This record gives sequence, structure tokens and C-alpha cells, in this order.
Amino acid sequence: MADRLSPLEPVYRPGNHGNLAGGAGVVLGERQPGSIVQLAVWSGQERPALAVMLDVTGMRLPDGAGSGSAREDIAAFGFAPGRFLLVSEAEGLADRLRAALSEELGTVTDLSHGRTAFRIAGAKAEWVLAKLFAIDFALAAFPTGAGRSTSHHDIFAQIQRSGPEQFDLYVFRSFARSFWHTLCRAAEETGYEVR
Amino acid sequence: MSPRRAAQGGRIDRSGPVRFSFDGHAYTGCAGDSLASALLANGVSLFGRSFKYHRPRGVFAAGVDEPSALVTVLRDGIREPNIPATMLEIYDGLTVESQNRMPSLAFDVGALNQLAGPAIAAGFYYKTFMGPVFGPLKGTRFWMFCERFIRRAAGLGRAGYEKDPARYERMNAFCDVLVVGAGPAGLMAASAAAESGASVILAEQDAITGGSANWSGETIGETPAAEWAAATTDALAGRDNLRILTRTTVWGYYDGNTLAALERVGDHKPASPAGEPKHRHWTIRAKTVILATGALERPIVFPGNDRPGVMLAGAAQRYALEYGVLAGERAVVFTNNDNAYCSAAAMRDAGAEVAAIVDVRREISPAARELARQAGGELLLGHAVVDTEGGKAVTCAKVQPFDTASGTLSGSPKSITADCVLVSGGWSPTIHLASQAGGKPVWDEQQQAFLPPAPAQRWIGAGGLDGATTSEEALRQGWDAGRASVDGPPAPYAAPLVSSLELDARPAPVLEIPGKGKAFVDLQHDVTADDIRLAHREGFVSVEHLKRYTTLGMATDQGKTSNVPGLAIMAAALGKSIPDVGATRFRPPYSPVSIGSLAAERQAEIKPERLTPMHDWHVANGATMYSAGLWFRPMIYGQPGETVEQAYVREARAVREGVGMVDVSTLGKIAVQGPEAAEFLDRVYTNTFSTLPVNKARYGLMLREDGFVLDDGTTWRLGANDFLMTTTTANAGKVMQHLEYLLDVVWPQLRVHLTSVTDQWAGIAVAGPKSRAMLAACVSQTAVDDAALPFMGIVHGRIDDIPVMVCRLSFSGELAYEVYCGAGHGAQLWEALMAAGQPFGMVAYGLEALGTLRIEKGHVTGAEIDGRTTARDLHLDWMLSRKKPFVGSAMMDREGLIQPDRMQLVGLVSLDNRPLNGGGHIVEHGDGEIRDDSLGHITAACYSPARRQYIGLALVRNGKARVGTHAFVSDPMRDRFGPVEIVSHHMYDPQGSRMHG
Repeated sequence: MADRLSPLEPVYRPGNHGNLAGGAGVVLGERQPGSIVQLAVWSGQERPALAVMLDVTGMRLPDGAGSGSAREDIAAFGFAPGRFLLVSEAEGLADRLRAALSEELGTVTDLSHGRTAFRIAGAKAEWVLAKLFAIDFALAAFPTGAGRSTSHHDIFAQIQRSGPEQFDLYVFRSFARSFWHTLCRAAEETGYEVR
Repeated sequence: MSPRRAAQGGRIDRSGPVRFSFDGHAYTGCAGDSLASALLANGVSLFGRSFKYHRPRGVFAAGVDEPSALVTVLRDGIREPNIPATMLEIYDGLTVESQNRMPSLAFDVGALNQLAGPAIAAGFYYKTFMGPVFGPLKGTRFWMFCERFIRRAAGLGRAGYEKDPARYERMNAFCDVLVVGAGPAGLMAASAAAESGASVILAEQDAITGGSANWSGETIGETPAAEWAAATTDALAGRDNLRILTRTTVWGYYDGNTLAALERVGDHKPASPAGEPKHRHWTIRAKTVILATGALERPIVFPGNDRPGVMLAGAAQRYALEYGVLAGERAVVFTNNDNAYCSAAAMRDAGAEVAAIVDVRREISPAARELARQAGGELLLGHAVVDTEGGKAVTCAKVQPFDTASGTLSGSPKSITADCVLVSGGWSPTIHLASQAGGKPVWDEQQQAFLPPAPAQRWIGAGGLDGATTSEEALRQGWDAGRASVDGPPAPYAAPLVSSLELDARPAPVLEIPGKGKAFVDLQHDVTADDIRLAHREGFVSVEHLKRYTTLGMATDQGKTSNVPGLAIMAAALGKSIPDVGATRFRPPYSPVSIGSLAAERQAEIKPERLTPMHDWHVANGATMYSAGLWFRPMIYGQPGETVEQAYVREARAVREGVGMVDVSTLGKIAVQGPEAAEFLDRVYTNTFSTLPVNKARYGLMLREDGFVLDDGTTWRLGANDFLMTTTTANAGKVMQHLEYLLDVVWPQLRVHLTSVTDQWAGIAVAGPKSRAMLAACVSQTAVDDAALPFMGIVHGRIDDIPVMVCRLSFSGELAYEVYCGAGHGAQLWEALMAAGQPFGMVAYGLEALGTLRIEKGHVTGAEIDGRTTARDLHLDWMLSRKKPFVGSAMMDREGLIQPDRMQLVGLVSLDNRPLNGGGHIVEHGDGEIRDDSLGHITAACYSPARRQYIGLALVRNGKARVGTHAFVSDPMRDRFGPVEIVSHHMYDPQGSRMHG
């Protein structure tokens, strides 16, 4: 199959940028996971649906709003009541989930092309993101694995904390280039490396 | 060192000079100096000219309360006006000019305004606005005549016209406890809160923490107060649950314990590192706020109280102890309270001579008397300063016996030579944020001041704000507030001992000394005591009206020094007490906020740009792009020398005669999934979707609840319970909201999920008589002939190795298809189709050609679905199912919505062979006169290559009945008048044989 093209292609400049006096405070990058899939569950069917998710992906989600779990190869988090985003390095996750999930439990929507995945990592990641989003990024309030739905003005974003100093952001593809500019600009103060 | 600068002491660094310029003169100061302290050290007393009368003004305060010494900073070609010299830290290369003077600060022609004093008293603008009732300058004409002179003469600093290159940012912060103010109380509160493990933000508007500890001269514990503050700050800075923000003014207290703060990140630096903002706007959401904002000293109002050299006593103390600078060499101290005696002693210790302490009270505390003895000079109890003399600086103070009880003077004035008059009318707690948070301030008779209201939100007061009059009290209140702000067991408080004196905290209730000459209450807006009395005589009794009429307290300093004296004078005029007169409600901002910080990161990009996957191809291939909402879309792919019309006519003709392709990725796309998805669509569309077979699409129409058309588009059935709805580009968000509302609120029992998949799919419309042949040549794994892919059919296949979904539908009226693929493949698909189309003469076409094709065909868009049209108006009544209810069905047959004389969609043909324009009106007469008789308006217009005529679509009253008649276009904005024929909106291939072929 044809390669998926990044919306950032002409503006993606690997290397160090911004104020590097103290080294790069964050590393920014685009991830290109094989699958980005939404699992939406009918009210009251969360437990059996999550059991299907566990079967298909091996991911077990803790209870609670916005909770999630992140591994290098696969990640999942709840971003709204009964709605989960699943991100896998492997392609075809939507088809596998759809085959396993009864329509009586919920629906599966493939968003692999429709969302662009960004990663920001480093000591200053919370600081840079706090410039853009009015949510609390402190580890206590936003634990590793958890996910949030939020927005930067017109740009809707789903954010998962995938490590103590690492966040993955999912943004509508058509906004990705604008958001990349915004993210890079916000990181100039701390210095950033694009990988 | 200058004679005004002490050899040691204070927060400044004397190791090397800092060079700066003021009004073109070069000066030096010390690192840590404010502009005010540095200029005072250089012996400068004249800082600016006043707002209305252009009177010479010096520096009056030492902090954010400064009303007079405002300057303009010149930096990077930008003018930043109205910066208090007291808040501006000097740095090498700082360039500053004074304000409101012409041609120079020392010689200012505007000072003639002083002669016109009575004419420009309170209400000057209101009186001038009215103007004479007759004559050439009647009414507002007089104002218009005067305005240009007034604008030049009045006002403060002048802003520039250059683009500000500085960077501004915003920051969102969350914390358990926000401590506002890092004086003794604030430091103590932050320590107590942080010890419990809570997350704490400590915000301080000055460059360093410590507040009054930096200039009280007291000892806290074993160390000088300033050192205690520095050590406490160091200890706090080491904690990872506490953030200290210096140079940060918390300026607004909003609902939900949300506070706004401005951090001046780069104002004190000669140059900022890459990416660092000049200012950072903080939105802080705090569970609890501790207000430790301290108190501000206020003056006593007396004639001549604005002469340079008249200064708040506490300010002089601050200059002496914090900056090692003498405000003058021979001081007269004028007070109604004990506190100023500390200032007098501090001046003496710093090397100044105290000529006299003038106190309106006859009795003072023993501690004050001891301080007076240390300060030296005459102690004049039961006296008042009644005037000052001097040109651009004070040379002497006039003093006269004064009776506090009656408020009258006796005897005759005597002159005391002095170069500064240090005045204190007591202290007013800085209640601004507490007042913003809600509630009425409470008058305290003892302190002659407003104390903060009972908290209307979760805040705790501490220190001077809460009425503390000693550092010891402030420290304890700070500790208590810090503990109360967090959960946890009470922690023992080990009070550091403070070497405070036993001063009497009660000022005498005297805030004005009567006399002849201008006595200023609001120094920045040039409001005098007489202005307030004039306002009272003219009938202003409400303090809110008084404020607006005189503009008292409405300048950039927000009346920090004038509020209570103004109220006292108003109360005296009304014969009431101050609490009966009441205080005005404080509003944000506490101190001026840069507009840049509010715009913050949006200054560079007002809106984000939404780009389709094929955007770069369009740009690289000569497309002229325009914005459609946030999207960017190709208008035309112009060739050299082509006009826009020539380009779109060429593109549209190529589609009609061969094949063209257009990027339709911007169409809104919503995945509608679930067991009741078909039922849901039946309810929201006017026509039926439950009968639609899988792999077929149908054109659908949605109404609003009120029966008007909301949107249209095709919906594709991809599976039994899986639909792909498309909406118009402009209405995607609106339709999504509408549908989500219906599912969440009206039919929550329906098992339907909606997901925006607009960005999941790239869409390309391929249109023209050769489109089928062209697709047949490049699509694999499926046939595309009429049998395999009938009108509104959907097939899945591949183009190159890209999976595609092809639906046969037409917006252009030609045989046409929409080819969808994953957005990440969009650019490759576009290029593959372009290459495959070359043998067929493939042309990329833009929105203008798309519009032309749909106008010829009579298809509607947002121009016709404008929120005022019904399905019938648009000839879409055939889509209104009578077999089922749907959103809008109950209201669509209302009398007003089925009247035959409603505006209805028609086609127009220009009969004079000239273009028509959207927005032009249709009228029945052709004489070019403008009457109120519009029949309707043109919604879209173009040159039709198919008809070789200028045509348009229009909404015309009773339009269906007018088809075949002549009318006229009336477009006075473009001076376009001429005859038109009203025709059917189907102006091309009305039978649809081409697209069904």
C-alpha cells in the first residue's frame, strides 16, 4: 500500500531550534502510528467492551474518567464518557476491533488518516503545553497513561501522558501544520529538538 | 557616587554603572535601581508634565501607586507610554522620554493651560460636548472643532504606529494556593502552605520579594528584615511544590477563583534570549487564594501638593533604605499619623536633614516622640503644611497652626526651607483584588481606611491588607492564612521576634488642609479638591457619578493614592461620613496590562489554517488560494496573462467538454454509526434513508426545528449500520452540533455514535463526459461502468496501490464521481488521477469553476441556504417526505413559510451582456433610481461558458411566477444597473441527461 504522507512534510525540520542556552528543553516529533482508532461504547456496556479491547490489544484500562495506559507499541485512553482512543504501531487495528466487537457493545471508527500524532518529551514538556492548553499538566493531576480532551482555540486536541515527562497529542490532520507551528513557537523559549 | 546616593545599603549593586538616557541626557545608575531611584540619585526632580494643566511633576511614590512620574520607553523602534518610573528597572541602554510636554520638559507651552484653570475644571468635556445651541458651531460641531486641539494638549504618553516586534505569551497555571504579595505576610503564608505539601504559587509584583521588609529597617529574628526576606525566599525557592513569580502583578480576580496576572519577563533586560516573551499573561486557577497585598500610603491634600519634591513619606523611606537614595537633602515631614516618624528617622539616618515634622495632631505616642528626637528638626504638633513654593522643585513649605477637630487654620503661615515635603495621610489596605472577588469593603474608623469585604470566594487575607499595622502581626496572620489554606494538622508557629516600635496605628481623620490654590487629589488626572466640590454643587451625590464626572481615580494608576482622600472630601461636601458615601467597586485591572499579553500567542496567527492533503500541490501548481472559513481552497489555477474570469471559464469549459478534477476534501464528513443510525437519519433528514441500500448514496436535506433549511449533502451507506454523512464545508460544525444535541438531549435512547471524519478522508471530484473512461483506465479491483457503478452507487477499488472509495454523484451536472481515500494518501491520489487523466485532457479546477458549473445547473449552496429559505423556496419540496416526521416537519408548513410571494430561487440572464454580482438587487424599473422596492437579491453570478452569457442565481419575491419575465438589476454600490431575464434556475441540461448518461 502507498505510504501515508505527513501533513508536516515541508515544515518538519529535524535538528535543534530556539533558545539552546540550557540545551533543548523538549524533544518534539511527529509519530506515525499504524492505527488510530476510536472505540465508542453504548452506555452500560463499558466493561464487556473493554474486555474485548483487552482481548484484541492486550491493553487493560483502569477505571475512571480519562484513565488510560501507554506502552511503546500500543496506547489507549478514555477521552469522553464511553469513548476511547486506541493507538497502535501496527496497521489494521480498526478491522481487528470491528471484527471482535458486537454492535450491541459499541462502534469502531478508523481515524488513522484523520488524526496527526505529536509527541513532546522532556523536562519542559509541561511548561510548553501549559502555554497552549488550559488544563493541569502536573503529574498528580494528570498521571501517566491518562488522557484528556481539550482545545487550543480552534484546534481540538486529545492528549495522553505517555511518560512522566512525555505527552502524545492527537490533532485533526487538517490543523496539524498550523498546530506544529504553534507548538514549535511555544517551545522556542526552552529550546527544542525535532527528531 | 552622587551626593544623593548613600555609600552602602539597599538592594542595589554599586559595583558598576548602568547607563541609560532620559530625554536625551545620559545618566548612570546602579543595577537594581528603578528609573525613579536612579534619576533621584542624579538629582533629577522634574519627571513630567501633568495631564490637563501641564504642571511640572516629580516622583510621588516608590511603587505601583505612582501617579505622576510616567515615562515613555523607546525600544526596538517601539514607543511604550505611561510606564511609572517607579516600576521601570534600569538596564544598560534603556532609553526613556518624558511625556505631555512640548517642546521640552523644562519649557512646555502647554503650561499656559494653568491660566485657563477654571474653564477646564470638572465636567469640562461634558460641558464642551454640548456646544452652543445655534450658530455655525451648533451642537457637536463645536466638539468636532475643538477636538483636535484638545487631543493634542491633553492626555498622557503617545503610542506609536509601528508593529511591536516583541513576543507575548500566555500560561495556564493550577495550584492549591496562590499567594499574592511576597512581603512578610505573603512569605510567611507561602512557607506555611508549602510545608504541608500543597502546590503553591507566590506572585510578587516587584523585582524582588520581601515587600516592606526591604525598607522597614526592622529586624526579624536575628537579622535585618531584608535579609530575613531573602533567606526565607531562598528556602522557598528550593522547594519543588512552590513557584515564585517575581515582576508579576496579579491584576484580576474573577469567578471560580480564576486570577489573571502579568509577568514582565523581559522589560528589565537589554535583550531577551530567543523565544523568551516580553510579557507573559498568567491565568491562575487556585483552590485558595491568600491575599497579602499590603497597604498603600495616601497623601494629605493641601494647596501646592503636586510640586516636584512633594512625596509620600513611605516612598522617601523606601528610596533611602531600599535604593540608598535621598529624595531630598532637607525634608519637611507632614503627617496625621505615627508612621511618618519612621520615615523621618530613616531620612536622617540616610544623611538628610529633617527640617521639621509637621503633625496635625496635638498628641503623639512616646515612640513617635522618640523618633522625632532622633530625626532632629522642629516638631510642630497641631500644625499643617498649607502650601509649597518653588518652580520646578519645592524650595520651601508653608506651615500654619491647624485644629483637627474643627478643620480650621489659625495664626499665620511661616516658611520652612526644604527641598522635599514628605507627606503621609495614613495607610489604605490594598483591597482591590478582594473587592474584585465580590463584596463591599468595610470602613474601619480606627484606621480611617476601608478593610476588605468578607470573602465572597475562597480567599484569606493576611498582613496590611487585613489591617495588620505591625510586621509581627503581619507575620502571624501570614502563617495562620497559610495553614488555613491547606488541609492538615495545625502546625506550631514559632514567631520570629520583630523589633517594632510601639507606634499608634490610628491616624487623625484629616485628609485635606483647606486653603487657596490648587490642591490635587488625583495627580494623574489633575482632579483637585475644588473639582470634587464643584461636582457636588452641580448635583452629583453618588460616588459612582462623582468618579465619572470628575474622572477621579480613572487614570492609569486607578486612583491608588486618591481614592480615600477623594471620598473624604466628597463626604465632607455632602455632610456625611465616608462609609455613608461608600466606596466604588474595584474592577480589573489592578494596574495597566499590555494588550499584547492579552492577545498572547494569537498575535502571530489570528486563526489556524486548515489545509487539505493536496494543499501543497495546489500552491505548487499555480493555484490562487482563498480562505473558506479556516480552510484554504484553490480559487483558480491561473495561467500567465489570464484574468480570473478567463481562468474559470477555461476550467469550467474543460469539465463540460472533457474531464476536470477538484479538491473536495473540505466537505464536512460525519461517521453516523450504530444499530439505530438509519432511524436517526430518517429523523434528521427530510427524506428517507432507512430504505437506502448498502453501497448507495442519497442526497439529503436537513431542516432546523423552525422549518427553515439547515444544510444539504449526500450521505453514503457504507454498511447496514454505518453511514458517511457529508455536509457543506461551511456548515460542518453547525450540523455536528445540531446532531449531537439531538442525540444527547432529544433522543438519548438511540444507539448512534457521531464522529467527525472530515480529516480522515481526502475527496476528489472527477467530472465531465470523459470521467468514466478516465476512471476506468486507472481504477483497479472494481468496474466503474453504469452497471457496476450506477448514479449514486458506491464501489471500492484501488488507484495505483491506494485504496479508494468511488461514489457516482454530481454537483456540476456532468457525469461525475467523487473519489475518496485516506487523507494520508490524498496527495498521491491527486497526482495519480492527474497523470491518468492526461490522455483525456484532465484539468484541475478551482472553486470559481465549481461555482460556475453549479450555477449553470441551479444547485444550491450556503449562498441560497442562508437561514431564511425553505425547501419550497429552493424547489426542494420534492424532498419533504409525507410518510414520516422529521426535524422541522411540524413547523415547515406554517402560513408564513408557504406564502406564494416568498423569495424563491430563480435563474437570471444578463440582457446587456455585462456581469452580475452577488448582492445586487432585482427591481421592476430600469431608470436607475434607488427606491425601496427590491424584489430580491442575487446570490451567485458568473459567466456561463455553456450558455455564453452572464448568468446568476437569485432569490426573488414570487420568483416561480416570474420565470420568463424581464426585470432589472439595481446594484448602486457597484453602479451596476441593467436589464435581466428571470429564468428557471435549471439553466443547463434541465433533464439531467448528462449526469445520468
